[in-house]
Amino acid sequence: MSHSFADSWGLLVFGTWHHNMNTSDSSPSQSRGALVYYVRDVVKTREAEGVAFRLKVPSLQIAMGEKIALVGESGCGKSTLLDILAFILKPSSVGAFRFRPERDGEPLDMDAYWRSGKLNQLGDLRKRYLGYVMQTGGLLPYLTVRENMDLCRSVLGLKHDGTIEHLAEQLGIVKHLNKLPDALSTGERQRVAIGRALAHRPSIVIADEPTASLDPYAAQKIMSHFMDLVEELNITVILASHAWRHIKELGLRRLHHRTVRSTDTNLTETIVSG
Amino acid sequence: MRVPLSKVFVLASRDYIHEWQMSFCFVLALAAVLGPMMVLFGLKFGIVGAMVDQLIEDPGNREIRPVSSGRFDRTWLESVRKRSDVAFLVPRTRSIAATIELGSEGSSRHVRAELIPSDEGDPMLSPQGERPEGVTRIVLSRSAAEKLQVEVGDTLDGSLARQYRGHKERVHLPLTVAAVAPARAFSRDGAFVSVSLLEALEDFRDGRAVPRMGWDGDGEKNARTYPSFRLYARSIYDVAGLRDAFAKLGVDVKTHAADIELVQRMNRNLTAIYWVIAVIGLFGFSLSLGASLWANVDRKRKELSVLRLVGFRTMDIAWFPMVQALYTAIFGWALAVGLYQAVASVINEMMASQLIEGQQVCRLLLHHYGIALGLTCASAVIAAGLAGLRSAHIEPSASLRDL
Ligand SMILES: Nc1ncnc2c1ncn2[C@@H]1O[C@H](COP(=O)(O)OP(=O)(O)OP(=O)(O)O)[C@@H](O)[C@H]1O
Ligand SMILES: [Mg+2]
Repeated sequence: MSHSFADSWGLLVFGTWHHNMNTSDSSPSQSRGALVYYVRDVVKTREAEGVAFRLKVPSLQIAMGEKIALVGESGCGKSTLLDILAFILKPSSVGAFRFRPERDGEPLDMDAYWRSGKLNQLGDLRKRYLGYVMQTGGLLPYLTVRENMDLCRSVLGLKHDGTIEHLAEQLGIVKHLNKLPDALSTGERQRVAIGRALAHRPSIVIADEPTASLDPYAAQKIMSHFMDLVEELNITVILASHAWRHIKELGLRRLHHRTVRSTDTNLTETIVSG
Repeated sequence: MRVPLSKVFVLASRDYIHEWQMSFCFVLALAAVLGPMMVLFGLKFGIVGAMVDQLIEDPGNREIRPVSSGRFDRTWLESVRKRSDVAFLVPRTRSIAATIELGSEGSSRHVRAELIPSDEGDPMLSPQGERPEGVTRIVLSRSAAEKLQVEVGDTLDGSLARQYRGHKERVHLPLTVAAVAPARAFSRDGAFVSVSLLEALEDFRDGRAVPRMGWDGDGEKNARTYPSFRLYARSIYDVAGLRDAFAKLGVDVKTHAADIELVQRMNRNLTAIYWVIAVIGLFGFSLSLGASLWANVDRKRKELSVLRLVGFRTMDIAWFPMVQALYTAIFGWALAVGLYQAVASVINEMMASQLIEGQQVCRLLLHHYGIALGLTCASAVIAAGLAGLRSAHIEPSASLRDL
């Protein structure tokens, strides 16, 4: 996937992209009717020690209930895109960035939030609508598994209704509920993280390589649990992974991208559309 | 849609407990600063307090007496007595004339008693006891009462003599012991009597008639002046002011102001020294707690950004170091109080033999503990404020992938 910087890749990219429309329940017409994300010409530039990275998103639309996979090699900008979609990373420039968490609500202009520095409102949106599964746990070491899974719920003021226990059962971690995360294996922690991201029934779950630190067998098992759960709860999923093989069987729509590395200017650029 | 404060509080507490070793170190560090400071202050307060107590306990320290005799009339004395810083004032008659021979049935001895003018509210007499009244009821000094072997209610024979128109004349008057004064009130043989009795005796000695006593003489005295007076300030702290007021009026007085000022100056100096130490100590503690809380923000960057990720607001996050610093302040204070009390009881035990009953060298009042807690919490909050600001600025994306 390495091209010379001289390629006029702005055009080229549109030409070479193809969408996987074979995903389970989201036909194009449906998805256009209920878009959760509408992104146009979003750019994020990151620079460190004279080495620059640029993520370009000419156009990205994600429909409600869609299951999206972002697959690519390490360093191609998956986490960068997910963070932008989770409102925890400010894009450098924005054509349009709209988010509509409720099917019949008004779309929200995320760019306006960022520009006016309303970080607390972004936090409120995350709290209400997003679940985020990190590459490694991200559990609070001073809370038990149960409390960790309950974190998002309790922050929203939701009452105990057996959701946690139900989730724990499906993820196979019931017997660990009263333990501290320290006493869990990495895979078990990852399941707790998945449980936490789902417990408050968010409309969207963003998962950044949730199984990267696990062996393929455990990864397979946890991912299929995860997919069952999001299917059951009808949650929009955006998943990053560097291995397409596992993802393919889970029935996700793959988001394609193109990475261009220039040798002379130390710039890596990734263009994502879908 | 803020996260409820109780939730923030619970999480911060759980973190504090989870890291109990770290927390305990902070608590110890605080107690190590605060404990000795409390002992120091307790000592200062106790020692100065004991000295002040001693000053206050003896009303003699509040006495103000003219150095030389003057001519004070009733109206002038009355105007002085009305001052708010004057607790007690009675005029004195000439001391040469202020003696009487006392005799009792129980004892063959005769006692020559000095007479001290007294009245309602005499600070040298015990407040519950009887007062001298009229020309018959007097209060004996302890030593006079012992020599005469009399008790309250006994009658005495008072007698005095004068040289009148060439021959010696002696009169007798019956006196009743209204009370016996405490030993410290007057150490020699003496009696506290009413001013009117003293005036009668002075007139008799001067060879004047005292009709109300049935004593003959050369007419009555009209414009009476007094050579001196007995004056007690309301408190020991009023003594210096009164001394200066008298100096302005041209009356030289003798006071214990120097003793009192010495104690006051000592108190001031010790307080100043103490506060210098306390401020340095608390500032140091604040700085060290602030530094560790600041470093804590780095250490817990990932955990804090997880909270940020699940929607904690800027202010919610800022509460974290605040709550934890307050825990340190409260536990550290409690430990310091325990430390102080242990040390104070040892010190007081050691000094017990050199002190009056119930007195303590190392002593704090309840509100001192409160002030200590308040100051500690305040410096903890200041320390946490900076760390709080810093933790509030944690960006979730920047630190989620640390570790
Ligand atoms: N804080 C940062 N400052 C500067 N550059 C950064 C920063 N974080 C990431 N980058 C650069 O951005 C590029 C994309 O990083 P990103 O984390 O999005 O990759 P990724 O696709 O998630 O990789 P991986 O699969 O390894 O997680 C990388 O080349 C990285 O060097
Ligand atoms: Mg990544």
